[in-house]
Amino acid sequence: MKPVLFLLISLPLLGALILALIGRFLSRRSVETIACTSVAAAFVLALTAFLLSGQKAHSLTLAQWFTAGSFQVDLELYYDPLAAVMALMVTFVSSIVHLYSVAYMRHESGYTRYFCFMNLFVFAMLVIVTAGNLVFLYLGWETVGLCSYALIGFWYEKPEAANAGTKAFVVTRLGDVAFGIAIALCWFSLGHLSVSGINDSAAGLSSQTAGIIGFFLLLAAIGKSAQLPLAVWLPDAMAGPTPVSALIHAATMVTAGVYLLMRFFPIIQGSPILMAVIACVGVITICFGAFSALVQKDIKRILAYSTISQVGYMFLAVGAGDLAGSLFHLIAHAFFKSLLFLAAGCIIQALHEEQDIFRMGGMRQKMPHLFWLFLAGTASLGAVPLTAGFFSKDRILLAVFLQPQTGFKVLWAIAALAAIITPLYAFRLFFIVFFGKSHAGAGQAPISPASIPNRMIWVLWPLAFFSVFAGFFNLSVNCAGNEWLVHYLAAVPGAAMELHASPKMESAMQMGSALITIIMVIAAWIFYGLRIQPSESGEAAFRNKLNALFLNGFYLDRLYRTWIITPYRTTAGFLWQKVDAGWVDAGLAQSARFFLDLAERLRLWTTGRISQYVSMMVAGFTLILCSLTVAWWVFQI
Amino acid sequence: MTLPYTHMLFLAILLFMMGAACAMTRKSLFMILIGVEVMLNAAGIAFVAAAMRWLDMNGQVMALFVMTAAAAEIAVALALIVCVQRRTLSTNADRFNLLKG
Repeated sequence: MKPVLFLLISLPLLGALILALIGRFLSRRSVETIACTSVAAAFVLALTAFLLSGQKAHSLTLAQWFTAGSFQVDLELYYDPLAAVMALMVTFVSSIVHLYSVAYMRHESGYTRYFCFMNLFVFAMLVIVTAGNLVFLYLGWETVGLCSYALIGFWYEKPEAANAGTKAFVVTRLGDVAFGIAIALCWFSLGHLSVSGINDSAAGLSSQTAGIIGFFLLLAAIGKSAQLPLAVWLPDAMAGPTPVSALIHAATMVTAGVYLLMRFFPIIQGSPILMAVIACVGVITICFGAFSALVQKDIKRILAYSTISQVGYMFLAVGAGDLAGSLFHLIAHAFFKSLLFLAAGCIIQALHEEQDIFRMGGMRQKMPHLFWLFLAGTASLGAVPLTAGFFSKDRILLAVFLQPQTGFKVLWAIAALAAIITPLYAFRLFFIVFFGKSHAGAGQAPISPASIPNRMIWVLWPLAFFSVFAGFFNLSVNCAGNEWLVHYLAAVPGAAMELHASPKMESAMQMGSALITIIMVIAAWIFYGLRIQPSESGEAAFRNKLNALFLNGFYLDRLYRTWIITPYRTTAGFLWQKVDAGWVDAGLAQSARFFLDLAERLRLWTTGRISQYVSMMVAGFTLILCSLTVAWWVFQI
Repeated sequence: MTLPYTHMLFLAILLFMMGAACAMTRKSLFMILIGVEVMLNAAGIAFVAAAMRWLDMNGQVMALFVMTAAAAEIAVALALIVCVQRRTLSTNADRFNLLKG
């Protein structure tokens, strides 16, 4: 087990190191081969570890990291079913994205830098997944942030890309600080930092302590997973290359926050208030993302807001205590969202970097393969019956509904409402892009589907397969499944997996949501496929306002600019111009000028006449001797 | 008969003041050098006087040291003056004011 896990995390790191150190001397072919091989090998190893480990949890120490007094941190790994499923998902999606990137980045000259950071990202993500203590996890946590920053700003000559990278880094940093506090709190209240140790002793914590630690963990998760109120960085992060968006900002890194909450669920479980807070954060974010996605024009921004919304469902599931449902949705989401992003990347490249969906249209005839791929992803995102997204989202809603508290019924109602909107925005995107007329006359660039290599489309088929069929990992009993994922995760600490819903209720929920989804798909077809817009009446002004509200992500950016960034800038400007330049610097300059004047006067003493120097020396000695005499005379020393 | 200690000290003081005045006021390098020599010898007299006063031979030893140091100093100083005189064709101390502020 040990060599397998060691190689699992070190192979991507090795790839990144090779590319970083000697990548510039290698041919393009070998750079791509190294990058893809290391990640593909990691996938094989993840599969091996999954098959070897069974349902046991493995704790193992690779090496000692550092010691300070009684505080010792090791490079230790903790591998249990939760980590196993995550590692499989991460390596699988990464492998496909790497293969896709070879084709996608074929015209870019910075490919070594790109693949180096991609490999480093896979390493860091695997560290997060398999880390055995909080400090090691923090290493991975920070490194994914670094890679995200570097890859969002891949086209760093473009100011908006560079700014988006900085924004993502700074905003997620707020969460990272909270994570640092949570680590310190864990150390002081529990006495150790290892994952198994924390989870074993979490039951002994008081509700308040668990709530406080869990709250800081939640803040960390909110930052990384782009939940409210720190969601603003993710839509801007779309300035990076599309495969990066698919891997980091859809499938893996943004779900690291959810994984953190699942990993330390025993702590979170200790505080019912915190659970409710997590669920509320999830629900509010679901609505925020869904409504914002409904009116966006940029294809990648639609998907970004949809990611925010879908990760909100995972938070909601954690808040409802349903780890299996959360992980189930996480996996399903990873498949269909990375598929959607990668397919969107094909469209964008085929249309010469066009991202506005209203200038696409009619792609069905031009890219028939992509049509089916995109349909698979959209159906899963929109929770069309029998796709992966249908089962996972249904399970989450059911788990929330089954919570005994009344508050959760309200949350369920809101989440269900947002689940109605999800197929609407998913199929809006789909119908507008693939149906309708292509706007050749409206300034659209001439489309040349032949310009993208076929392998870019081929590599998406496995993702499409899992987008549709990943539901069978956890097929509920009333659908002739055996809930494999639930049983597999049974050993994960703190997980009460069975929902104990009556089969009748489960079926009713599934039928209901299936019906609503189909209605919404038809509605989307009427609104967007047939282009029958709602009539422009007196309420147009109101609709426009609402439209603008959604389009700008509820003006969250403006809110932060007005209340945080501008006051911060003003204060910084005051400190800089008034305090620093006005007082500190001016004070120093003044004292320097004083000494300059003094020196100007003192230099007159060096007259250049030796006799004068000698006279001064004699006078000085006389003075010294006289004062010594006086001292001796007066004080009798 | 022995001279009183104070007399000898007064002689030393007088010589020292004369030497210092010479070193301070004259412009010729030679005269400055002579002034310095006089001052050194005044110090030597003070040492010898002190040796007689306390009947301690260390004072005379110091006087010998002073003479030796003076001899060495004069050798170096004369060499320097020769060097400077060749370069500037002058022994006027006020001519050497390159480090004037």
